[in-house]
Amino acid sequence: MTTIERPRYRAVGEREPRLEGLHKVTGRSVYAADVQLPGMLHARLVLSPHPHARITALDTEAALGHPGVVAVVTADDLARAARDGSNPARGASNRADALFADREVVFAGQPVAAVLGESYAAAEEGAELVHVEYEMLPAVLDMEAAMEPDSPLARSPVSDIDHTEEDAHVTIDVRSEEAEGRATNIASHVSFERGDLDEGFARADFTVERSYRAALVHQGYIEPHATVAAYDAATGEVSVWTSTQGQFHVRDTLMRLFKLPETKLRVVGCELGGGFGGKMIQSATVATACALVAERPVKLVFTRREDLLAATPTPGSVVRLRSGITSEGDLTALEATVIYDAGAFPGAPAAVGSLLISSFYRWPNLRTDGYEVLTNHVSVGAIRAPGIHNITHALEQQIDAMARGVGLDPADVRLRNAARTGDLMASGKPFPSIGMAETIEAAAAHPIWTRRDAARARSTETTKVGVGLAVSGWLGGLQPASCELMLNSDGTLNAVVGVMDISGVNTSFAQIVAEELAIPVESVSVNTGDTRTAPYAGIAAGSKTTITMGRALREAAIDVREQMFAIAADQLEANPADMVLAEGEVQVAGSPDRALTFRRLAAITTGFGSLYTPIVGKGAISARVQAPGFTAQLAELEVDTVSGNITLTRWATVQDAGYAINPLSVEGQMEGGTGMGIGIGLSEEYLYDDEGHLRNAGLLDYRMPTAADTPDIDSVIVEVPSEEGPYGARGVGEPSITAGGAAIANAIHDALGVRVAEMPATPERVLRALGRLAD
Amino acid sequence: MARQTHLLRVNGREHEILAEPNRTLLEVVRDDLRLTGAKEGCGTGDCGACTMLVDGRIVTSCLMLWPEAGGHEVRTIEGLADGSALHPLQRAFIEHGAVQCGFCIPGMILAGVATLERTPGATRAEIRDGIAGNLCRCTGYQKIVDAIESVAQAPAGRD
Ligand code: FES
Ligand code: FES
Repeated sequence: MTTIERPRYRAVGEREPRLEGLHKVTGRSVYAADVQLPGMLHARLVLSPHPHARITALDTEAALGHPGVVAVVTADDLARAARDGSNPARGASNRADALFADREVVFAGQPVAAVLGESYAAAEEGAELVHVEYEMLPAVLDMEAAMEPDSPLARSPVSDIDHTEEDAHVTIDVRSEEAEGRATNIASHVSFERGDLDEGFARADFTVERSYRAALVHQGYIEPHATVAAYDAATGEVSVWTSTQGQFHVRDTLMRLFKLPETKLRVVGCELGGGFGGKMIQSATVATACALVAERPVKLVFTRREDLLAATPTPGSVVRLRSGITSEGDLTALEATVIYDAGAFPGAPAAVGSLLISSFYRWPNLRTDGYEVLTNHVSVGAIRAPGIHNITHALEQQIDAMARGVGLDPADVRLRNAARTGDLMASGKPFPSIGMAETIEAAAAHPIWTRRDAARARSTETTKVGVGLAVSGWLGGLQPASCELMLNSDGTLNAVVGVMDISGVNTSFAQIVAEELAIPVESVSVNTGDTRTAPYAGIAAGSKTTITMGRALREAAIDVREQMFAIAADQLEANPADMVLAEGEVQVAGSPDRALTFRRLAAITTGFGSLYTPIVGKGAISARVQAPGFTAQLAELEVDTVSGNITLTRWATVQDAGYAINPLSVEGQMEGGTGMGIGIGLSEEYLYDDEGHLRNAGLLDYRMPTAADTPDIDSVIVEVPSEEGPYGARGVGEPSITAGGAAIANAIHDALGVRVAEMPATPERVLRALGRLAD
Repeated sequence: MARQTHLLRVNGREHEILAEPNRTLLEVVRDDLRLTGAKEGCGTGDCGACTMLVDGRIVTSCLMLWPEAGGHEVRTIEGLADGSALHPLQRAFIEHGAVQCGFCIPGMILAGVATLERTPGATRAEIRDGIAGNLCRCTGYQKIVDAIESVAQAPAGRD
C-alpha cells in the first residue's frame, strides 16, 4: 500500500530474493563458531555466581595442573595482552573494556577468568577448578530503590560515564547531564520541559495517571557470541574472526585496549547469526586477550547460558505518566518519569527514551525526567530501537486510556495529535520528514481495526476477544560510510563494502548499482571485505545501513558511470554529456550504433599499453539528516479468562519505509521486529530471585515465541520519502519492534476492560489484573 | 574417557569415527567431519538450530551422543540438495525471502522436510506446529511458513 504515487525504477523497488540465500540454505555460510584453526585452543569462562562481591582470592593452580589446560587468564593478566603493558581492565568505565572483573564483581554472571585448554572438555574441566573467594557486598536490585540517596552503591563510583553503547544506535543532540558530586547510582539524568504543566492540566477534561513496568529482555539472536582470535608472535599480526554487527567497531576497540597497530590487526566480521543491537563486541575482546597471552589461536563461543547471563540484554524500566486531554481530543499536558535499569555499567537509552516519549505527540505542555540507574543486574545494550518498546508500552496505553476516557476513537486521537514533519521535538530540534500520520491513517483503514466490533462479538463467557492499536517510531542513526565499485573484464561489477550484511542489505546494494548502471541485478556482486580490505563502514545498527551505505553505493555507481562516459566519449568522438546507458552499453544518445559495451570498456581500461585508467568508482558519504521511521501495529487476540492465556489471532504491522528498495526484505524486517515485539509483550523476561541470581538462564524458561505462538502478520508498507535516503528510503530494522507489546496491552484492555501495566502480559499478570489472583 | 570407534553414516557416506563416546552427534559432525551447517544455538534441546534427520526423524543433535547414531542414516543440510539441484524447500526459502541471518535455516529446512514427509499437504497451522521446536528470531516465521506452504501446496510430482 502506498500513500503517494510510487516512482518507477528498473531495479530498485522490486521484490528481490537475497543473493546470498543459496549459501545459507545449503549450510555453506561461515559463522564465527565454524572457524577452526590449526593449534587452536578453546576458552571457557569462569563467571561470578554473585551479583556484588569483592574478590579476595583467585587461585588458578589446580586449574593449571589439570591435563590439557594451557593457561588461565584473569584481569591481572591483561597487562600481558596489551602491547604496551598497560591494563585495560583497570578502572574500566564501560562494559566492553571490562573484560574480566577487576577485584569487584558487579553482576552475577560477570566473567572473572578464562581457562584455555587443548580441548573444549579440558578447558571446561579447568574452569571448574578455578577457585575464587568472595566477600559479599550489598546487592542493589531495584532500580527505584537504587535512586534513593541512602541506597548502597551498585559499584565503586565511575568517574567517566561512557556513552559508547548508547551512541552506536541513534544520533541525538541531547546529552544527558551526568550526576555530579556525591556518589550515586544515577548514571545520568536528562530532562525536557515545555510550556506550563499546571495550565495544561487545568485545561484537561480528563486526566490519567499510571505507572508501567517493562522487563529486562534479551535480543534472542539464535547464534551466541563467538570469536576465534589468532596472534602470530613472529609477525605481530592479530587476526580476529567474530560475530559482530560492526567489524570496524571491533577493530577500533581492540586497537585501543591492546595498543595494536591497525596495520597488524585484521578483523573479519563473519556471517552473523542475528544481532539486533546486542552483537557489538563481547567475545572478541576476551578471545583476543587470550590469544595475545597464550600466543596461540583461541576460540571462545558463549554457551546460551553465558549469553543470557553475561552478554548485553536490554533494560527493564519503570515509566510513570500523568497526562491530560480535552473532550475534543486535544492533548494538553504530559508529565513523565522514565527510569531504565542499566545494570552494572552505563549504557541504557535514557536520553533517547525520554526524548521520544515527549516528542511523538504534540504536547503543548510537558515535563519529562529520564534516569539511567546502575544496579547489580547484568549490564545492558541495545535491542532494535533501544528503550522504545518500554516507553511505547506506557505512552500508548496512556493515549488509549485518555481516548476512551473522553469517548473518542483511539486512532482518531492519535492522528489528531501526531507529530508532523517540521514539528519541534522536545529537544527543540525539528522533525525531518516523517510519516507518522500516514502510518496511523493506514492502520485505521485496516480491516482488523475497521471490523473490530465483529471480532469482539466472538467473545464468550470465558474467551474474550479484543483489538489493540499502538504507534511508535525511531529516529535512526547516522554514520559516514564508504565503498568501492570496480568494473570486471566481463562487464559485470564487484563492489566492496565493510558493513555487515545481516538481513540482505547487500541485495539492496546490488539493486542500487543495477539501477544506476542500467544492468541486471545478477551483474553486480556485493562483497563484504574485512577491516584491512574494505573501506570504512559503520556498525550495522541504528537502522542506518541502507540509508547511509546505500547512498555510498549510489555515489560509487554514478562515479563509475561518469568514468565510463568520459572514456566512451573520447573513443566515440562525442561529448560525455551526450552519453546514455542501455543494456550493458554506453551509447551516444540518439545513435545506438555508436556504442561501447561494458566489456569493451573494461578491456580498453585494463589491457597492456592501455591509455585509460581502470574503472574504479568510489562512494563516500557523510550523513546529515536522519530518516525516522514510524510503525502502527494492530493486535487481535483472545484471552482465556480462566487460565489467563492469550492467543493472538490476527496481526497487522504498518510501517513507513520511505521507499522500499526491496519490499521483500522490508517486509522481512517488519515481520521479524513484530515477532520480537510479540515475545516482549507476552512471554520474555529476565526472572531474578531475591538475591539477584537469574533464574531462567536457558531457552526453555526464557520463552521466545515459536511459530505456533505467532499469528500471520500482514505487512503494510507506507512510503513517505525521507530527505536523504537513497530514493527516499528510511531505515526499517528498528521501528518494527517498538509497538507490539503496547498493541497487545491495549488489546487486552479492549477484551477485558482492565489494564495489565506490566510487560510481558503473562497469564499470571492477566489473572491478577482480573482480580483472580491475589497480589 | 576412552575413545571408541564406530561407523557413522552421514548424507549417504560412511565415516569411521574415533572419539570420546560422551561427545554429542552435533560436536562430532561439526568438529570432526567439518560439516558445519548444523548450528549450536543452545545445547539444551530448546532451539532446533542443531536439527538433523536420523532415519528421517527430527533429532536435536546437541542432545544425542554420537555412538547412538551408529548404524542409522544421518542427514544434515549439506546432504539435502542433489548436486546443484536444490531441494524444493531450499528453493522456496530463497524465493519467499524466508532467509535472513540464516542461523536457524539449516535446522528449519530439515524440520520442514520432516513435517512435509509426515503430513503431505500440511496446512499453515500444521506447518507451524511442525516447526515449533525450531526458533527463528529474524523472520517472525511469516515467510518461513509461506515457503513451506508453497511446497506443501505444490502439485504432486515436485517432492
Ligand atoms: S542447539 Fe540443539 S536444540 Fe539448540
Ligand atoms: S533467519 Fe535468523 S534466526 Fe532465523
